[in-house]
Amino acid sequence: MKGDTVTFSERMLKIDRRIIFLVIGLCTLLPLLYPVGLPIKISSEVRGVYDHIESLPEQSVFLLSIDFDPASKPELYPQAIALLRHAFRKNLRVITMTLWVSGTGMADQIVTQVAKEMGKEYGTDYAFLGWSPGGQAVIINMGQDLYSAFPSDYGGRPTKELPVLNGVRNLKDVGYMVDLGAGKPGVEEWYVFGKDKYKFELGGGCTGVMAPGLYPLLRSGQINGLIGGLRGAAEYEILIDHKGQAVAGMDAQSATHIAIIVLVIICNVFYLSLRRAARAQGQAG
Amino acid sequence: MIFLRRQLPLLITLVAGLLFAAQYYVPHPASEQMLTSATKWLQIIGGFALVLGVTSLFHLHAVKIRRQEAGWGYSLVLYAGMLGTIAVGLWADGKESIEGVMTSFGWVYNYMMVPLQGTMFAILAFFIASAAYRSFRARSREAAVLLVAAVIVMMGRVPLGEYLVPLSGDVASWILNVLNASVRRAILIGVSLGAIALSFKIIFGVERSYLGGGKE
Repeated sequence: MKGDTVTFSERMLKIDRRIIFLVIGLCTLLPLLYPVGLPIKISSEVRGVYDHIESLPEQSVFLLSIDFDPASKPELYPQAIALLRHAFRKNLRVITMTLWVSGTGMADQIVTQVAKEMGKEYGTDYAFLGWSPGGQAVIINMGQDLYSAFPSDYGGRPTKELPVLNGVRNLKDVGYMVDLGAGKPGVEEWYVFGKDKYKFELGGGCTGVMAPGLYPLLRSGQINGLIGGLRGAAEYEILIDHKGQAVAGMDAQSATHIAIIVLVIICNVFYLSLRRAARAQGQAG
Repeated sequence: MIFLRRQLPLLITLVAGLLFAAQYYVPHPASEQMLTSATKWLQIIGGFALVLGVTSLFHLHAVKIRRQEAGWGYSLVLYAGMLGTIAVGLWADGKESIEGVMTSFGWVYNYMMVPLQGTMFAILAFFIASAAYRSFRARSREAAVLLVAAVIVMMGRVPLGEYLVPLSGDVASWILNVLNASVRRAILIGVSLGAIALSFKIIFGVERSYLGGGKE
């Protein structure tokens, strides 16, 4: 009987990975087809970003750096959409840009789509500066002279002629800046090369795996808020009362997290039973 | 020639290193102007680095194709993809859309790059689940602590977890804000001190590996 248990445990530990793939696939697909809509609690990190944008007076300059590529789209795209909706609703002057060349087209689409939805006019209400080479050097250059870092916008129009940039010389004139980063350059670089020297208020958004790494910046007040992963985006969508892709995806994320937890627990139960059996065998021997 | 290969780069590194370290603390307009110019140079060098990177990639895969090394077919695909994208990009003036109308470059971006990158990233979820099942085991006390913390954070970060175990959200938040933040900070301070020490070694010419190992 003991031998049977060992064999069963061993067999379960070496389960075909296609079964695990199937479980994860179903846990993703079924909640998307049949949403449950469980309540989502708002964290203080996400509220930090929301409250700061809420506190800005109309026509304040809001800079959004969309520093991610299509690989991180599922998590960061809903964050960008929610932030832009909030900023446009507050009638802020929205300046957008990217430090990731592979994210330029997507960033342009995001900004154009939300601006169109909110009835905003290019050049007057918002601008997309596009991409400029140099990574963190662009941040320093923007801190010194924004027009030197971006002499023209994504469409080739001279940035000095854009009414939305009236009175903006460099990063010191930015009311609030949020970086949505999926790596380097990202939130950390915007703090080290931007906020630390040019003293503007900074918030961050990142993928779920990156979020724990940014908590030291958050706890020390170096960033005043953090939107972490799809969960953060879902919280922001609830705060602006405009549920979108992130809220829809939370049920799927819930199911996959729980599935992984159950798998880890099962694997440990079998692992411990195997170890106990091996120990008992050793004592008997 | 040794002067050009050794002493001059060391001298430039020393002067530039000391100058820009001091610049941070000097808010004089001349000092700020110097930083503006230097960052502009950096951006231009960044642009050249991109060209250098692409050239190097082309060279590497050309060698693979010529020698018909294992997987040289993938190098051919890379060549086709790169040259095709560059041609289409030049044709569309590097723009994915012009006044709301998608260009051919935008088509490549939207219907090839976006789904390909998305697929690659999405596959990770399946492999992580499989890897977690196979390797996330309580082999030692330390591993057990890690396991428990991971399970709590995973529970606390999703609505279903908070619904099943209402306390998990607060405990997860405490783990992230207190335990994680303090340990990360300690690591960051250590790494930063190491970076400062290495910078000093480079500025003062103690660390010279960046000069390469050419003939004297």
